[in-house]
Amino acid sequence: MAISRRTFLQRSLAGGAAITAFGFDVTPIYAQARTLKIERTTETRSTCPYCSVSCGVIIHTLGDKAKNAIPQVVHVEGDPDHPINRGTLCPKGASLEQDILNERRLMKPQVRRPGADRWEDIPWDQALDEIGHWVKKTRDATFVEKDPRGRTVNRCEGIAWNGGCTDTNEFNYLVVKTMRSLGVCYLENQARV
Amino acid sequence: MRDSWEKRIDRALELAGRDAAARPLLDAYRRLLILQRDCHASLRAHPEPLTGSLERDLIALRVHVPHILKDVVATGPPRLAEEARQIIAAGNHAIDVLLLTGWHTPSDEHFFARVILQPYANCLVTLRVRPLDRDLPHADNVCPFCGGAPQVSILQNASDAEPGGRQLQCGTCFTTWPFRRLLCARCGEDDERKLGYFHSPAYDHLRVDACDTCRHYLKSVDLSRLGLAVPVVDEVAGAPLDLWTHERGYEKIELNLVGL
Repeated sequence: MAISRRTFLQRSLAGGAAITAFGFDVTPIYAQARTLKIERTTETRSTCPYCSVSCGVIIHTLGDKAKNAIPQVVHVEGDPDHPINRGTLCPKGASLEQDILNERRLMKPQVRRPGADRWEDIPWDQALDEIGHWVKKTRDATFVEKDPRGRTVNRCEGIAWNGGCTDTNEFNYLVVKTMRSLGVCYLENQARV
Repeated sequence: MRDSWEKRIDRALELAGRDAAARPLLDAYRRLLILQRDCHASLRAHPEPLTGSLERDLIALRVHVPHILKDVVATGPPRLAEEARQIIAAGNHAIDVLLLTGWHTPSDEHFFARVILQPYANCLVTLRVRPLDRDLPHADNVCPFCGGAPQVSILQNASDAEPGGRQLQCGTCFTTWPFRRLLCARCGEDDERKLGYFHSPAYDHLRVDACDTCRHYLKSVDLSRLGLAVPVVDEVAGAPLDLWTHERGYEKIELNLVGL
């Protein structure tokens, strides 16, 4: 007996009893299927940014690809097919989801004044003004145009930059451009991937 | 051993007791599993060892066919019962043709060939006898033992005993083999944007792995969420997911024995 896979679908759409390709009655299951709440996720391969081991990760993103829906990360796990970590992650890497979604993430600038025992929120404009003020003041005070032997060095020894491990390539590119233009030599970050 | 005929039968009984809607389907599948278990046990104990060539092994296999056909006539759905009656009436030659056709040109739409050949192929796995006359193409997405298509995908964490990641389980001989996680098991699509995963909280350890390129899917059983699951049985119990997915225009890579 030739059974078409389409048989089931046709019978279902006809509104009568739902049967499978082999004739099993699935009418109650069909009713159950209509009540299911089903969500679509996508899985995306990526690399853990935390250290130079470069473990492979899979990022699960919730969203049905609708144009007005914002995809949301719901889970991050080790990539079992990645030759470095074979699906495993260290405790820090296993918490990678919290690098993306974290209710404790700072959403506005803060400053801790000299002698203060706590951080205070300040507006963005004020933060940028104060940073600009202190950078200029420090650079002007510590800029070294020539070394003791008279060679031109144009370096700023009063400022240092330390970046984080989750800084992106693009961000670090801008950091280097900015810091080198200021003459900053003490330039480092933990991004190793 | 995680997967055996007994475990499949016990799991089908357990799941049927929990889910009233799926009970008739699981009861029917359990009856088939019992028939298959008996066939498998008999093949193992047959005085003439299996050779891996179905033409030569037909003598051992043919004796079980009437029993299975009569059971389906008595308890199966009308469509299959009628087909079983026709095969019985046509005699041994029709049975041989049915089995040889199902073995050499497999199709998931040939119910009786699959019901009978599953225990045979599984017995070859148990006895470590390679199929000799099943010249099917070798590829990553077909069974490395018998060349069958995957019935279900299995996800599990790595342990000392077993590798982690994703494995596919053959719909013919139940062999499992490792398969890349982010890859369509039918067309090989690896563009992550075209691979969708559908999940319902009602079936926490199941999900549907669908490909928007070839519009095919198979279900995954996540053993890291439910280690007691028996993949091929839990796959049947997740029938509502099949119906939901089917309605959205996806076609299953390999139908299971209840035709979903």
